[in-house]
Amino acid sequence: MKFKIILCILALVLLAQLIRPKELSSAKAAPVNMLAGVPKEVAKVLETSCFDCHSAQTNWQWFDKLTPANFLVASHIREGRKAVDFSQWDSLAIPQRNALLYSALNAILSKEMPLSSYTALHPAAKLNQKDTGLLKNYLLNKAVSKPSAVENTANGNGQTFIKEVKKSPNGIGYIADYRNWKAISTTDRFDNGTIRIIFGNPTAVKAIHEGKTNPWPDGTMFAKTAWKQQQAKDGSVYAGQFVQVEFMIKNVQRYADTKGWGWARWKGDDLLPYGKTVKFDSECISCHRPERNNDYVFTTPLDIKDFNKK
Amino acid sequence: MKLPFTVGIFSLIILIMLGCRPNTPNRINKEASVSSISKLPENPLEMTPMAVSLQSKAKTMSTLYGNSMASQRLKKGADYASGSVLYLVTWKGKADPDWFGARIPDQVMAVERVSVDSEGQKSYTFFKGPAWHPGLNFKNEERQNIMLSMPLAASPGI
Ligand code: HEC
Ligand code: HEC
Repeated sequence: MKFKIILCILALVLLAQLIRPKELSSAKAAPVNMLAGVPKEVAKVLETSCFDCHSAQTNWQWFDKLTPANFLVASHIREGRKAVDFSQWDSLAIPQRNALLYSALNAILSKEMPLSSYTALHPAAKLNQKDTGLLKNYLLNKAVSKPSAVENTANGNGQTFIKEVKKSPNGIGYIADYRNWKAISTTDRFDNGTIRIIFGNPTAVKAIHEGKTNPWPDGTMFAKTAWKQQQAKDGSVYAGQFVQVEFMIKNVQRYADTKGWGWARWKGDDLLPYGKTVKFDSECISCHRPERNNDYVFTTPLDIKDFNKK
Repeated sequence: MKLPFTVGIFSLIILIMLGCRPNTPNRINKEASVSSISKLPENPLEMTPMAVSLQSKAKTMSTLYGNSMASQRLKKGADYASGSVLYLVTWKGKADPDWFGARIPDQVMAVERVSVDSEGQKSYTFFKGPAWHPGLNFKNEERQNIMLSMPLAASPGI
């Protein structure tokens, strides 16, 4: 009796092997060229740990090919390549390549990547300090954006004005009065040569002062503006050309599908809404995910006290 | 004999439950908030942020703030009129622990104030921050000019 059951299970497992994800047949596609312009040892680190899920160069182990494991692997590759695809390297401009490497390193440092379910079976993909050190060193020495020289020292031309700003693809409308909010932080982003102010609306400022920022209360809004870095003759760097403004709007119910936040970005002097599809915001969420224990917010804000209230 | 045992087990369970609560502290950049500087007549952080700058050699970062009169310049581009108050807060910068590729404010090095009185006279005041070091040689006249001529961080309006 027992023997029969085991035999049945074995037969089922064998039969299941006939059902395979279509990715398996196209696996072992042409090897991706080593990342052009990047030193071999740096490219090697990424190839070993990341290319299985983030490139056309997938390397299936025999146990990856067994049903049902192969379906999991295939979905990792599908999702992984949607998020980051090193096979596209050659078609990327230098700033995009650098942005890709910085987000790769940050995904490693925050322990999001490589997926732990993967390293359990593929221990060679685990990164050690030497590996991350190689990446850090390369980025700090070769991929730091230099500010451009100041174009016009004349300032105080006032604001440029636009007639109408279109909605973000997910339906969020532009919020025009963020420049009247308070600055809760500033960042020097040497990875992409921008300087940023993070504005918080009155609800945000109050929540910070009361120490109730985890989770942030409904009604909290952040605006993050980015400007190109621009260097003056004295060596100081100032905000140059306006790049973009992006928002996070807290409403647990309305934005239940996007971690409780509404996400939107407008780019350039004509404030064009960013994003091709309604779901463009999954890109925002996946990069903010390492902060999930901090309600998806990166910024550690300044506490803004009213000096008249003791 | 049984009671202390039950109480003991219960408090142990509660302790474990508390310990297992996700660690979710409120994160606030206390060191960079200016309130440690006592003599300030008003809190510059409550004013409108108008410009930002970085000094890569000194590894500092600054934000220029203005009261409602001064911040007119942001919209209209006019000179700083009577009644304008400007603050320049300078922080020591530090690496952002959450993003390799960013620097964020650490302790305050200095707070500077320029006001324009009803006759258009400008006056400059300096406040030392906890991270101040004498190597930073600030000359009043020069600093006032730097503050008044900082290129503003302009953004489009509607
Ligand atoms: C087992 C497959 C797998 C491996 C190996 C892997 N990833 Fe991923 N990665 C994924 C998947 C799946 C996603 C999509 C996750 C999502 O957005 O929901 C992803 C998303 C990402 C993202 C975008 C989202 C984020 O977290 O910022 C980056 C960047 C990234 N991976 C970098 C890397 C790097 C660098 C490595 C190598 C050190 C690596 N990945 C290894 C599967 C993998
Ligand atoms: C590649 C990673 C990445 C992506 C993608 C990303 N962000 Fe962020 N975001 C950051 C980092 C890092 C910060 C911290 C501030 C800084 O360094 O500029 C931040 C900060 C912010 C803030 C200020 C509040 C906070 O969390 O600190 C807002 C608002 C914001 N992002 C909106 C967006 C929106 C909207 C999108 C999508 C359109 C987006 N972000 C996509 C990395 C990312």
